Amino acid sequence: MNRLIVRWLATAACAAAYVHAQALPTAESILDRFVEVTGGKAAYQQHTTEIMAGTMAIAPQGLTGRLTRYALAPDKEYSVVELGPIGKIESGVSGGIAWERSALLGPRLKSGEERAQALREAQFASPLAWRKNFPKAETSGVETVNGEECYKLLLTPAAGKPETRFYSRKSGLLLKAVATAVTPMGEITAEVEISGYQQFGGVLYPTQSRQKTGGQEMVITITDVRHNEAVPDGYFEVPAEIQALILKAAGK
Amino acid sequence: MLPAVPMALLAGLLTLPAAAQPSPEQKQANLASFEFVWTTIRDQHWDKNPGGLDWQATGAEFRPRVEQAATAEEARQILREMLGRLKQTHFAIFPAPVYQDLDAASVGDGWPGFEVQVVDGRVLVSGGSVVPLGWEVLSVEGTDLKSLVAALQQDPAIHELQLARAVAARLGGPAGATRQLAFADGSGNPQTREIQLQPPRGELSGFGNLPPQHVWFEAKKLGETGYIRFNLFLDLVRVMQSFGEAVEACAKCDGIVIDLRGNTGGIGAMAMGLAGWFVDKPGQRLGTMTLRNATLNFVINPRAGAYHGPLAILVDGSSASTAEIFAGGLQALGRARILGTPTAGAALPSVIARLPNGDGFQYAVANYVSVSGQTLEAKGVAPDAEIRLTRETLLAGQDTVLDAALAWIRSQKRQ
Repeated sequence: MNRLIVRWLATAACAAAYVHAQALPTAESILDRFVEVTGGKAAYQQHTTEIMAGTMAIAPQGLTGRLTRYALAPDKEYSVVELGPIGKIESGVSGGIAWERSALLGPRLKSGEERAQALREAQFASPLAWRKNFPKAETSGVETVNGEECYKLLLTPAAGKPETRFYSRKSGLLLKAVATAVTPMGEITAEVEISGYQQFGGVLYPTQSRQKTGGQEMVITITDVRHNEAVPDGYFEVPAEIQALILKAAGK
Repeated sequence: MLPAVPMALLAGLLTLPAAAQPSPEQKQANLASFEFVWTTIRDQHWDKNPGGLDWQATGAEFRPRVEQAATAEEARQILREMLGRLKQTHFAIFPAPVYQDLDAASVGDGWPGFEVQVVDGRVLVSGGSVVPLGWEVLSVEGTDLKSLVAALQQDPAIHELQLARAVAARLGGPAGATRQLAFADGSGNPQTREIQLQPPRGELSGFGNLPPQHVWFEAKKLGETGYIRFNLFLDLVRVMQSFGEAVEACAKCDGIVIDLRGNTGGIGAMAMGLAGWFVDKPGQRLGTMTLRNATLNFVINPRAGAYHGPLAILVDGSSASTAEIFAGGLQALGRARILGTPTAGAALPSVIARLPNGDGFQYAVANYVSVSGQTLEAKGVAPDAEIRLTRETLLAGQDTVLDAALAWIRSQKRQ
C-alpha cells in the first residue's frame, strides 16, 4: 500500500513538473519584460551618464559608509566607497582595464574572472545588455521570495560564474539574486534581496539591497540617481599607480 | 548500638546529598548556560558538524547530565567535557571567579609608563624608563601579583596572552591617578614607588562595535636597519600609511625589524596589506580562513615599492591573532626570520561571552590554516630562533631578542 502511494506521488510529481515546465515563460521574455516594467528601452537609452549615491551598513560590525558610482556610456565606471575605519576603496573600469585601489591593499589590477565580472557590471544600462552579458539564459522554475512568486532564472556569462535571479511573476521586477563574486580572497557567494523600487530619470531603480555573505549582512541604500550630468574630468582615467602596474606586468 | 560520634558523622553524611541539591535557580542557570554554549556552537562554528561530531546527538547526550548536575562545578565539568569532544582550541569555560580576574579591565586607560612581562611566574619590568628594567613588580595597591599569576597559571585554559592582559589591567587605571607599587630591585631588595599613571600612548581608534582602543606606531632607524613597532592591527588608514612610508624610507636599509611583541592583533586583512610591502611575486598568500559559509584566502597584493632585503619579525607569547597570521605567513613563505618566543596560538577570531551562571565561555568563529598547511591555533608561530628574556639580561639593560635580530641582519649583509 505504502509503495503504491509512493509510486502515485512520484507519478503525480512528474506530471506536475511537466505541466509546470510547459507553463514557464522563456528567460528572454522575463528579462525583456524587466526592461519594460522598469521604464522601457527608450527611457534607458536617453541617458549617457549616471551618478548614483547611497549608504551602506554592516550592522553586526557597526560599520557604516557612503558609496558613489559614476558611469559613462557605453562601458566606463568609477566607484568610491568610504567605509568608516577601513577608509576609501576605489574601483574602476576603463578601456577594458579593471582596477581597484584601497588603503588596505594598495593599487591592483583585476584579471581573469574578476576582470570579466567587472567589465560586465560596467555595461551602461546593463538590463539592456543581458544578451551580450549572458549568452545562456534559462528559466528553471518558480520559487517564492518574501511571499511573492518569482521566476527563477539561471544566467551564464561567457566568462565567470552563473548567476541565479528571481523575477516577480506579478510585477516582473527583480527581487533576489544569488551570485558568486570571484575575488583574490576566493569565491564569495552572496544572496541579495532587492526592494524599494523608485523612479529616477524615467527608470525604476531598486533603492535597497540586503546582501548576505559569509554570515555577514550588508545593507545598501540608494538615495539618489542623476543622469546626463557632466562627470568631473579624470574620473574615468586609469590612475597613474595602475598604469605603473600595467607597465610592470608588461615588463617595461 | 553505634557509638555517638560515628552516628553524628553518618547523620552528617546523610545530609550532604540534600545540602548539595542545586537550588532551582542554580539548576536553571546551569541549563541556560548549557543551551547558550550548545546553541552558539551549532550556529556559529565554521563546520556544520563541529569537530566532525553529530552536534544534535552531542546535545542530547549532555543536556540530561547538566540537568542532573548537583553543583555548578559539576555542570561546568560536563560543559568542559562536551567542549573537549571538539578537540579544538579556543573553546573553553572559565569559572566565574577566574572570569572576573580576566575581565577585571582597569577603569581608565592610563598606564604606569613601563611595560611588563611574566617571566617564570614573576612580573618583570621589560620596557619604559620609569622603573629600571628587570625589577619585579610584587604588588599594586596591596594586590599581590605573584599570587594572581600563580592562581591564573593553575588553570590550563588560561594562556600567556590572557595572563598578560590580567596583569596589565591591574597596573592600569585612570590617567593621573597614583598607584602604590612594591618592587624587588636587582638585588632582591624591596622598593616602593608611588607612580602616577600616564595618559595612554597613541591615538584612540574604533572599529565598528569594538570599543575604541589606543593605537601607537613607531618607526626609526637603528644604525642602517629599519625598526617598526606598533601595538595593534587597528587604525587601518593611519597605520597602513605610516607603515608604507616607513618601508619606502628604508629602501636602502641593511634590513628591517618588525617588532610584534605584545601586539595582540586586530583587523585580519591588514596582515595581507602589510605583507605586500615585502613580496613582489603576485598570487602568494599567507593562509586561509574558513568561516561557516565562506573560505577566505589571505592573498598578498605586492606593492610597487616592496622591500626585498632581510626581514626579521620579533614575537612573544602576547603576539596574537593578526600578528601571528602576518608572522606565520611570511615565515612559511620563507620571507622573514622569526625571533623571540612562541606566539599566543590565538589566531582564530574568538569571543568570550558571559554565561547565565556567571562563567566565561570562549568560542572561535573561524578556522585558519597558514600557507604551509599548519594550523597556528594553540601551537602559535614557532620562532626560527627562540630567545627568552631573563631577569639577568633585563637587569643588564639588554633586549636580547632585538640584539639577535640585528646580528642576523648584519650576517646577511656579509653574505
